[in-house]
Amino acid sequence: MCGTCGCENTEKLIPLERRVLGKNDELAAKNRAWLEERAILAVNVLSSPGSGKTTLLERTIRDLGATVPITVIEGDQATENDARRIRAAGARAVQINTGTGCHLDASMVARALEELRPESGSIVFIENVGNLVCPALFDLGERVRAVVSSVTEGEDKPVKYPHMFRAAGVLVLNKTDLTVATGFDESAFRESLRAVNPEAHVLPLSARTGEGLGAWYDWLRLASR
Amino acid sequence: MHELGLISEVLAIVEEESKGAPVKRIVLEVGPLACVLEDALRFAFELAREGTVAEAAELEIVRGDGATGDDELRVRALELV
Repeated sequence: MCGTCGCENTEKLIPLERRVLGKNDELAAKNRAWLEERAILAVNVLSSPGSGKTTLLERTIRDLGATVPITVIEGDQATENDARRIRAAGARAVQINTGTGCHLDASMVARALEELRPESGSIVFIENVGNLVCPALFDLGERVRAVVSSVTEGEDKPVKYPHMFRAAGVLVLNKTDLTVATGFDESAFRESLRAVNPEAHVLPLSARTGEGLGAWYDWLRLASR
Repeated sequence: MHELGLISEVLAIVEEESKGAPVKRIVLEVGPLACVLEDALRFAFELAREGTVAEAAELEIVRGDGATGDDELRVRALELV
C-alpha cells in the first residue's frame, strides 16, 4: 500500500507534493527581492469594485507625490481608465488588462515593474482587480496588503470574505462621510474583522473629503522604512 | 473563476512530471481555506485536459487537513497508465 492515498498499486504512482501556485510564488519572491533591494514599498491594494481604491490613490498622489515618488500598477479586466486617472493626478502608471482573468499574478507584476522602473525609496501601489475572492490567492511580491472596504458595503464583509480580510496588513475603511446616510455600524464592522484578522490596523477615512487621510499617510511613512 | 487558471497550472505540472506519458490519475490536495470550489475545479479540468497527457485521467481531490498550510493547493501524486 502506498503512503499517499492507500491504493494498492505503487508501481506507477509518482509522489510529487508540488504546490500548484509554486511558480507564482517563486516569481513573487523574485519581485519581492527586487523591490526590497531598492527599498521600494510595494502595496497590493485590494477591494471589491467601487470601494474607492483609485480615488484613494489619486488623493494620495496629490498629497504625497511631492515628498515621495509614487508609481502605480493598475489591474482591470478592461480599459485604460484608471491609469489615465492616475496619470492625471501626477504619477506614472502602467495599466494591465487581465481580460477574462479575475486577479493579478506575479508574472504580470514582474512585466509591469520592468516597464515602470520605479526608483529606489519610492512607493509602488499595485491596484488589483476589484474582487474580494481570487486576488487573495496570489502573492505578487508586495511588502504589505491594504484592503479597502467602504461603509456602503456593510459591516459583515470580513466574515463573508475571510480569505481576503485575513491577509490584510492594513484595512482602509473608506467613505466615512456616508456613515450617517448608510447607517453603517463601525463597531460591528471591527468585530467582524477581528473574527478573521485581529492584527489588522483599521484606518477610517474619506478619500473624497480628506477626513482621516493623515493616519493613512502616517501609516505609509512608517511602512516605507 | 480562477479555477481554470489553477487547473492550467496543475496540467503544466502534470505534463512536466509525466514526461509526456499518459496519466491515469491525478491526486490533488485542496486545503480547507484554499479558496477554490471543487465543482468548479472539476468543470475546469474537463475543459482543459483535452489534448493533454491527462486527457483520460481521473482527478482525485483530497481534502487537506491544513497541516501544510490552510490555503494549500498541491499536486500530491500522479499515476501513469
